[in-house]
Amino acid sequence: MRLRRLAVLATGLLLVAACSPSEVPGEEPADAVEDASEAVDGDEPSGTVRFLIAENFWADWTPYQSTAQSQSRLNHHIYDTLLTFPSGDLGDPQPHLATEWEQIDDDTWEFTLRDDVSFHDGQPLTGHDIKASVELASGAAGEETVLQGRWVPTTVEVIDDHTVRFEMESPFASLFNAIRQTPIVSAEDVEAGSERLAANPNGTGPFILESETETIKTMVVNPDYWGGPASIDTLVWEYVGDAQTRVNALLAGQADAIDRVPPEHLPTIEEADGFELISATASEQVNLFSVPNRVPEWDENPDLRRAVMLAIDHEALVDSLVQGESVAAQSFLPSETLYYSPGEIDYSQNLEEARALVAEAGLEGLEFDVWAASGFLPRGEQVAEAIVANLNEIGLEARLVTADVAGLVDDSVDGTGLLYHISWSSGGDPDAAAGIYASPNRWTHGDDTIDRLVQEGKTTMDETEREAIYDELQQYLWEELPHIPLYYSDFTVAYSDELQGLRVLPNYETNFYPASISE
Amino acid sequence: MALFLLRRTTQMIVVVICVVTLVFVLLRIAGGDPARLMNAADASEEVIAATQARLGLDQPLAVQYLYFLRSIVTGDFGRSFHGGYEVRDVVFAALPNTVALAVVTVLVSTAFALLLGIGSALLRGTLLDRAVQVYVSLAQSTPSFWLAVMLVLVFAVNLSWLPAIDFTGPISFVLPVITLMVALTPILIRTIRQSFVETLERDYIRAARARGVSNARVLMIHTLKVASLPLITLVGLQSGMILAGSYVVEVIFNWPGIGKLAVDALASRNYPMVQGSVLIAAVAFVLVNFVVDILYSVLDPRIRLGAEA
Repeated sequence: MRLRRLAVLATGLLLVAACSPSEVPGEEPADAVEDASEAVDGDEPSGTVRFLIAENFWADWTPYQSTAQSQSRLNHHIYDTLLTFPSGDLGDPQPHLATEWEQIDDDTWEFTLRDDVSFHDGQPLTGHDIKASVELASGAAGEETVLQGRWVPTTVEVIDDHTVRFEMESPFASLFNAIRQTPIVSAEDVEAGSERLAANPNGTGPFILESETETIKTMVVNPDYWGGPASIDTLVWEYVGDAQTRVNALLAGQADAIDRVPPEHLPTIEEADGFELISATASEQVNLFSVPNRVPEWDENPDLRRAVMLAIDHEALVDSLVQGESVAAQSFLPSETLYYSPGEIDYSQNLEEARALVAEAGLEGLEFDVWAASGFLPRGEQVAEAIVANLNEIGLEARLVTADVAGLVDDSVDGTGLLYHISWSSGGDPDAAAGIYASPNRWTHGDDTIDRLVQEGKTTMDETEREAIYDELQQYLWEELPHIPLYYSDFTVAYSDELQGLRVLPNYETNFYPASISE
Repeated sequence: MALFLLRRTTQMIVVVICVVTLVFVLLRIAGGDPARLMNAADASEEVIAATQARLGLDQPLAVQYLYFLRSIVTGDFGRSFHGGYEVRDVVFAALPNTVALAVVTVLVSTAFALLLGIGSALLRGTLLDRAVQVYVSLAQSTPSFWLAVMLVLVFAVNLSWLPAIDFTGPISFVLPVITLMVALTPILIRTIRQSFVETLERDYIRAARARGVSNARVLMIHTLKVASLPLITLVGLQSGMILAGSYVVEVIFNWPGIGKLAVDALASRNYPMVQGSVLIAAVAFVLVNFVVDILYSVLDPRIRLGAEA
């Protein structure tokens, strides 16, 4: 009997031992993370911040091979850029790695670098690092990168260790946006090859990557940061896809900040004590994107597209479904974009006029599919459902197809759908915002006017002329309606009021460098 | 016994290969090009093609499948499409967390179900019996995702008694285990009650009582042993299901297990990670069933292991 009791006790002990979490390689268990928040005297960095994000980490650390927002936000903490835009306004650059900059002529810019910057591995920053980074990012090095679409090929002449000169293939008006998106990596790492770059994020930024898993990236403060060390000692980024789980974790005190707060949870957080919200609207445009050559009537008949635009109750979508700080779209560019100008034609819902346009065109009963992805844009399926109901009210035979994001993207490539409920985020730059409507990509209709205006916008250096080009482009798109603009997304970050100084810019950039957390 | 083990091992290997092959095929049929998902919507076809080549997706399907089989045989499950982590490391790090959740859930659920099932069988028609029936009906009709969220809101958010998410220690088990227990116990309780009611009416039980065997001995030795056969089948199946499919609970509680890993990987069509997770879940499932078969023969000598049967 005693033996049996011993066996039971031993089993119990084994179970308790088994109840400790298995450690993922390189990952700190949560209690270890808590331990890291020990009080530190004076102005020494202290405290751990846990930030739960809605978008998974898509890429490795290979620079310039991803435009995913999650990767970009990580990069901004580990790497620096030449210039910074603290207000989110691309027209208001501030010194960062570069202290001075000057446009020599249409194709040439010169930058003077700080002389007190080191990479995390201790190497000093020189002009050779800028050359390696920019030539790789812009495609001038001959390697295909995802980011090269935001650049024109640019070669860099190193004048001396702290002076570089950019020579662009053509005048390039969106240079500041390209700079904003281009983290500076070490020339030595670039020479070592993509494997080293992928595995070893060696930047000059305020945080150093300490450990990582598929879903968790843990950073610690860079004590030698040229701008002074951050106040936060440890910064944990964690992907938690389920919105309810993120909100629960924040309210239960297990997370310090969360992003993409669903609008239906905003009142709960607002009413709870000890939490704050920052909403950034107007940098992500949600459209019904059409794919050319799927339904000839759509490509050939502008009245059909106008009828669809008039059938949709944009205000109701925003007020009743999407909610939060979302705003009905008034242009093909988000309202925070440089040179934004709202469309002049009024497309307030008018079912009668829409029905008449469809009837006059003889398109009653026209069948096509509208695709929406579940678990992507907030209430995407309900929005698409409401739109399909509107379209069927004016005599069309629209069908709603729902899938996950992967399924939707797949159909947009080689499927049969016509309209896709998706978004395009552009960070405030008009070229980045308008580029999606121009050739060559699968969403474009090969419209010469759009292609010409987008190209001119990219290469026109005179600000007044450039503004006029983007105004013309926006009015043209608004009249032609190659796609159906819907609304600008609400992107809300919620955080504990123990976290102070967190900066969320209108372009969604989330910056923890100026933040601190109470013990 | 040796023949039985050989036969069952062969069966298990065949089942696992069939499952992973099915997953390999279904992932490709389901569509959703990982390379396109990883790139911006306006990325050029050249960039997409370069990404496909980097991920090995430019190879014919048959070649990809052969690479996949080779990776299983060598125990190297390949690298994640996102971040380049070794799939083997990530999956084996997540596995103990799911196993721990499954073990605790099965132990607690079985004990709870035995208590209520036996009590209900012994006290048929009483208030307790009716209360148990009400619990069974309520538990059966309660969706797990709803219960999980409610438990978190009450015990973690409002009362701050328990953690809302994560696996940080024994206390983290409370809410996920209750959620899973409510889903598992109704059928267990029904089975135990029915089995006990039938067994208690058997002649040999009456004979034992007539011989003056104590009630406790009749219950614990004669009845429980016979009545536990269907229970073991159910517990075995449910253990496998938790190992392979507790993803709803893992997602809601941010439990770092295989279920959450597979769901996250599926959304981004991270083929190696989905395949690795499913492979390990399938192996766990067939192993649990194998153990159940062994237990069967121990509990009921009439059930022989294979050849003699």
